[in-house]
Amino acid sequence: MLSDEEHRRLRRKAAVRTNLTAFAFLAPALAFLLLFLAWPVASLFIQSFHAGGVMSPAKFVGLENWRRTFLDPLVVKSIRNTLLYSLMAIPTVFAIAMALALSLNSIKVGQNIFRTIIYFPTLQPILIAALMFTFVLHQDFGILNIIMRAIVGEPVNFLGNASLALPTIAMVEVWKGVGFWTLLFLAGLQGLPRDLYHAAELDGAGPLRRFFQMTLPLLKPTFFFSFVFATIVNLQIFDSVFILTDGGPAHSTVTTTWYIYRSLFTFNEPGFGATLSFVLVVLVLLLTAIQTYMFRERR
Amino acid sequence: MPHFRRGASSPVESLKSTPTMLLVSYVLLCFAAIVSITPFLYILSTSLKDTNSLFSYPPDWIPEQLFWGNYAKLFEQTSFVRWTLNTLGVGIAITGLKLVMDSMAAFALAKLRFRGKALLTTFLLLLVAVPIAALVVPLFFVVRSMGLLNTYWALILPALANPLGILMLRSFMVSLPEDLDHSARLDGASEWKVLTQIVLPLIKPGLVVHAIFTFMLQYTSFLWPLVAVQSDHMQVLTVGISSLKSNFVVDWGLISAASLLATIPITVLFLALQRFFLSQNLSAALKH
Repeated sequence: MLSDEEHRRLRRKAAVRTNLTAFAFLAPALAFLLLFLAWPVASLFIQSFHAGGVMSPAKFVGLENWRRTFLDPLVVKSIRNTLLYSLMAIPTVFAIAMALALSLNSIKVGQNIFRTIIYFPTLQPILIAALMFTFVLHQDFGILNIIMRAIVGEPVNFLGNASLALPTIAMVEVWKGVGFWTLLFLAGLQGLPRDLYHAAELDGAGPLRRFFQMTLPLLKPTFFFSFVFATIVNLQIFDSVFILTDGGPAHSTVTTTWYIYRSLFTFNEPGFGATLSFVLVVLVLLLTAIQTYMFRERR
Repeated sequence: MPHFRRGASSPVESLKSTPTMLLVSYVLLCFAAIVSITPFLYILSTSLKDTNSLFSYPPDWIPEQLFWGNYAKLFEQTSFVRWTLNTLGVGIAITGLKLVMDSMAAFALAKLRFRGKALLTTFLLLLVAVPIAALVVPLFFVVRSMGLLNTYWALILPALANPLGILMLRSFMVSLPEDLDHSARLDGASEWKVLTQIVLPLIKPGLVVHAIFTFMLQYTSFLWPLVAVQSDHMQVLTVGISSLKSNFVVDWGLISAASLLATIPITVLFLALQRFFLSQNLSAALKH
């Protein structure tokens, strides 16, 4: 028989061992997460109080970067454009994807073919999608403008017009993203309980009523993921802007990430870029927290 | 538990669709299919034309004489082949390393008991929400201080820091019955054995999903490779192709040929492993 004292000691020893084993399994992944993800977030804050660092050593400048960030009208504009773009792109892509998912769910013949074709643009890097859209939007040989010429009589300068450029970029992102969300919503629809729908049908609930009072509420977990994920991804928009407009015309498509990139590589002001990055991180975390809170409350 | 079955009769599907609903559905889907596929066909057509004839209106969809000059130029005067190999090599390296590291970490989170597990899981979920694009400035300095700027390591190492894969594999492992690994432990198997000989074989589909997700993320990435590597011969496909546009006189034919060819590798992968590409696996990862 073991005494109580021995028993406790052995148990503690076993606990230490499992803790060590778990740590060994976690160590490689954690090392990379800390070095290339957690530390950069922390160092954003540190860098926001420094200037220089690319060619010469960084030096402490106090609140200079922060002062600039709040006074620079382009910062305000870049955040405004980023939010505006997200407000255009996310609801649009969700609405179209939901319509397509419902359509796919109601057909039997050809479901696989349509699914494959609609998913196809999603596979491509957004950079390639944006390059392809230079061939869709170009004033002289863009396919959309060839159609425009046939219908309206003259081509539209989609990317050269300050009020059209941002919606056009949103359109490109929607084109590329719709397949992803369609398949996600379709999977959600296919996981809904069948009996409930039969009961509702027997009770005389029409398709519209079933959609709004059953399908949408039942898909809440899918929507929660969708809104959070779409917000995180869309607020980082860069690739399509870089290819299609590079911030122009008249700064109408300057987004936060574009400005961060330029502050490092064109303006050689990493301290300012870090400050702006910090603002973006806080913005994304804040919006994610708000969405989590909103979805949790009503659950 | 994520679904893998394809063509399984779905619950809602079994409700009879009215003829009107069917008609509306097919019209919508046909329209979406046309919009999805037309840009691809149009750049195929453009890539087979001499750039000068691009500007003629109305355009001829199928060029009377196929012009292969754009493709010849792409292979002879740019590093296109090298860029493709770089993308594939870097993507495979990242995917391989992440499969090993993420399986180990996910195993600890799903199957081992240790202090601070709940806290660590929350920490990983929090890291998912960090916008990676906001980290280019500090990452640039971290990688530079390691002396790795403009090396393949600069492309590979930072890409390993992504918590989503761990959470995804964890969600697959949590859904396995506990008895399996318990009985293996009673038989004296080490945790490493439990992972490699019991858990991993059972979540093979999950591993494929993880691999595809990781590879796709790398294949489509642009901002970090743009920042990390300067030499032309070390660029990945996305950065290399974008550099074609920065020439003073834009060679549209060349760009269309490059864009079209760049869609091929991922398309082949997709057609081979279609059923694993479903996006709901991603959402399963973030469920507690």
